[in-house]
Amino acid sequence: MSHTQDKSSALAQGVVIFVYLALLTALEYFVAVTFDAVSILVVIAVIKLALVMYYYMHIYKLNEGAEGDQHSYEYKTGTMRLGLWLFLLSDAFVFAGLLTTRINLLGLTRPHLNQLLGLGVTSVLLLSSFFMNRGETAMAHGDKKGFMNNTIITFVLGLGFLFGVVLVEWPLAAKEGLVASFGDPANGPMGAVFYMMTGMHAFHVLTGLIFLAVVWNNARKGVYSAEKHWGVEAAAVYWHFVDLVWIIFYPALYLIGKLIG
Amino acid sequence: MKKFFSTALMRGLFWQLIGTLVGAGLVTGIRAIMGLSTTDTFFFTEPAWVLGAFFGVLFFLAGNGSVTDWFKWARGIETPEHHEEHYSGWEKYFNVSLDHKVIGIQYTVTALLLISIGGLFALIFRTELAESGLQFLTLDMKLFGQNGPQLYNTLMSLHGMIMIVSILLGVAGIINYVVPLLLGAQDMAFPRLNAFSYWIAVPAAVLLLMSLVLGGFGTGWTGYPPLSARAPVGVQMFFLGVWTAGWSSILGALNVIATVIRMRSKGMTAMRMPIFVWAAVATSIIAMTATQLIGLSFQLVMFQRLLGMGFFDPAKGGNPVLFQHLFWFYSHPAVYVFVLPGLGVISELLPVFARKPLFGYRWIAMSSMGIALVGFLVWAHHMFTSGMNEYLRVPFMYSTLLVAIPTGVKFFSWVATIWKGKLSFETPMLFVVGAIVVFLMGGLTGPPNATISVDLHLHDTYFIVGHFHDTIFGGFVFPFFAALYYWFPKATGRRMNETLGKIHFWLMTPSFFVLTLGMMDVGLLGMRRRIVDYDPALGFDNVHLVMTIAGYLIGLSVMIFIYNFFNSIKKGEKAEGNVWNSRSPEWQVPSPMPTHNYDQPFEVVGEPYDYGLPGSKYVEFIVPAAKSKHK
Repeated sequence: MSHTQDKSSALAQGVVIFVYLALLTALEYFVAVTFDAVSILVVIAVIKLALVMYYYMHIYKLNEGAEGDQHSYEYKTGTMRLGLWLFLLSDAFVFAGLLTTRINLLGLTRPHLNQLLGLGVTSVLLLSSFFMNRGETAMAHGDKKGFMNNTIITFVLGLGFLFGVVLVEWPLAAKEGLVASFGDPANGPMGAVFYMMTGMHAFHVLTGLIFLAVVWNNARKGVYSAEKHWGVEAAAVYWHFVDLVWIIFYPALYLIGKLIG
Repeated sequence: MKKFFSTALMRGLFWQLIGTLVGAGLVTGIRAIMGLSTTDTFFFTEPAWVLGAFFGVLFFLAGNGSVTDWFKWARGIETPEHHEEHYSGWEKYFNVSLDHKVIGIQYTVTALLLISIGGLFALIFRTELAESGLQFLTLDMKLFGQNGPQLYNTLMSLHGMIMIVSILLGVAGIINYVVPLLLGAQDMAFPRLNAFSYWIAVPAAVLLLMSLVLGGFGTGWTGYPPLSARAPVGVQMFFLGVWTAGWSSILGALNVIATVIRMRSKGMTAMRMPIFVWAAVATSIIAMTATQLIGLSFQLVMFQRLLGMGFFDPAKGGNPVLFQHLFWFYSHPAVYVFVLPGLGVISELLPVFARKPLFGYRWIAMSSMGIALVGFLVWAHHMFTSGMNEYLRVPFMYSTLLVAIPTGVKFFSWVATIWKGKLSFETPMLFVVGAIVVFLMGGLTGPPNATISVDLHLHDTYFIVGHFHDTIFGGFVFPFFAALYYWFPKATGRRMNETLGKIHFWLMTPSFFVLTLGMMDVGLLGMRRRIVDYDPALGFDNVHLVMTIAGYLIGLSVMIFIYNFFNSIKKGEKAEGNVWNSRSPEWQVPSPMPTHNYDQPFEVVGEPYDYGLPGSKYVEFIVPAAKSKHK
């Protein structure tokens, strides 16, 4: 694998992208509470998606390893990378289906949710992506210790997001009357939509955490090197994908539309 | 016999049983602690059955060894790229193998088994329909908690879904066996994922059949709520079975796309790929993405039933039409998943038996992609009568009619390929010609259904049933048989009996025409589909009787085929050479294919279908001497 960047500039790039993403998230929140302009939120979300996909998930690497011996590690990694991206594309259709469900059933209304908590968990997940990127960059430069430390931080933040949603947000939402098991005419199907969307995403966070634990443990055993660390890359890309979904789901659940109930 | 019971198949089924009991027991235990009811009509409660069924699938896969290597990877243990084959003879096919050829045959035989089961169901309810009034599926009878008409509904619904799953498996079988050979690859891109994709379909089929004994369901294969939200617990097994089979389709398709992009031989540019590969890619694009939506729609109904989430319940602010949108977003493109590989088989085989170049290669390749892409934009034509927004009707009518253009391109090319060809009519060619004619029938009866004004009359009648049986027989069943007759010698080194093959064809084809023309006839006159009985005053009795006889003749012809298939494996006429005088790379080496495919890699040096052009060559094997010189 060719490194066009040295380690410090790669890490610096991660910081810059994180700052952009944080600013865009803040802007998103600000726009939502002041203008209520869905189109601007869509544009911001698309920019965030593009930044994560290019700089954190390095989608351009799909072009790498297209030539050469089909039995080399590089070529096989290229094949696996394609396989992973195809899987993510397929998985994205589940979330697109849920988004369609949300738009169809709720339209331009939104559930009554704790805004501060929403912004909080979103920030935590974004921050976890930042540390995941640092961890992967470290491994790509042979820094096993750096990878393991950053992955622990990512893991803790991911766990924080999961607890924030499942153990704090879900009971809070239930108090607001968003109960999954029954809807009343005032709330409509909001409870069902809210719990299904966050639940499906939380399930993916959970699998991402398991994936992180597996690669962390393998790194500890010394399985990965600067040249061969496909497992680390796959875990990182999957983790960023989970973040990617939340980039859409966060505004879809918390920011767009009018409050009812 | 002992060997048989220790195969991966039997171990998997055993663990599925254990898993089902563990999952169901778990839920029952929790419910007992919570003070909820612990038993229901079918012993366990519905949540217990659902978790049990889900655990059953997981236990099957863990128990039969198809995920062992992945668990090793997770613990940081490397595994050899290719497993050595531990088994030989029949045992190979009942155990987990990573060889794409073995998996292809596993898929194909499973598909044949499911086709037989689905066909048996069809014969049962077709017998009931032979005469108006209730003959043996009466109101008094009771089986699996269902009376006669309820059982009719369950069999009719399961006929649909079991056939769909069998088609997906049949498609996967042909693609799995043939595509790596056509590409000159040693195997699929992800051999373990390939084995996993096959093995997950087995517990899925078991779940589908479980739905029959757990009270059944009367929804048809579409499972629309609100009916499916009220059906017995069997419908949950149906949902879970489809969801599980969906993963088989998704992961298999992913594998095909990665294989075609990454594993082609030297010199095989996109426009020099065998045409079947294009069809495989087009079908895989749909299967890989859209399948998630049927999974999601069924999943949402499952949750609605289990947790009371009101997605499709108007009383809770839900929207039943939303289900239909999610459902048809897959289930219409799904029919292109079924037919595109079949149309690819036609294009692949026609030049071989016409001894002429395939007419308009580029156009055929692009028309496959075109059908796949337009297929994503037509789903709501199933919903003209559903009460969806009226302004959606016209765009969906036109997008549907648009499908006729790429399909027409294919027909034009086939006719032009046949034109002035030196045709020979061995069994595969007979089925290719049959496929073209039957698919033409299906194609011509399509646009009337797509036209809103006509569809309002035809919706949910037997005309639709006749139409889609025509498309599926023409687009899948006939080409599937053609492909089996054609590639059978490649897999076994023997060929199937020609006489029996011809009897199969000449028995099936006219019977099939009688059957579907009869369906369309009564449909146009107002015969409802999915109904156990009809008014004798409608005067359909005679037509239904003829259709039932035709149905039995089709069943007989398939039995002849199955006998021929299994008998020829050991007793067929030896055929180790290039039986069909094909230019395709897999026929340039002796049959049956060795485990790791080609001993020498090949290079593509010409166009794939230049039949009849003297001196032209498609592939050239790279001799080892030349290879060492390059080093």
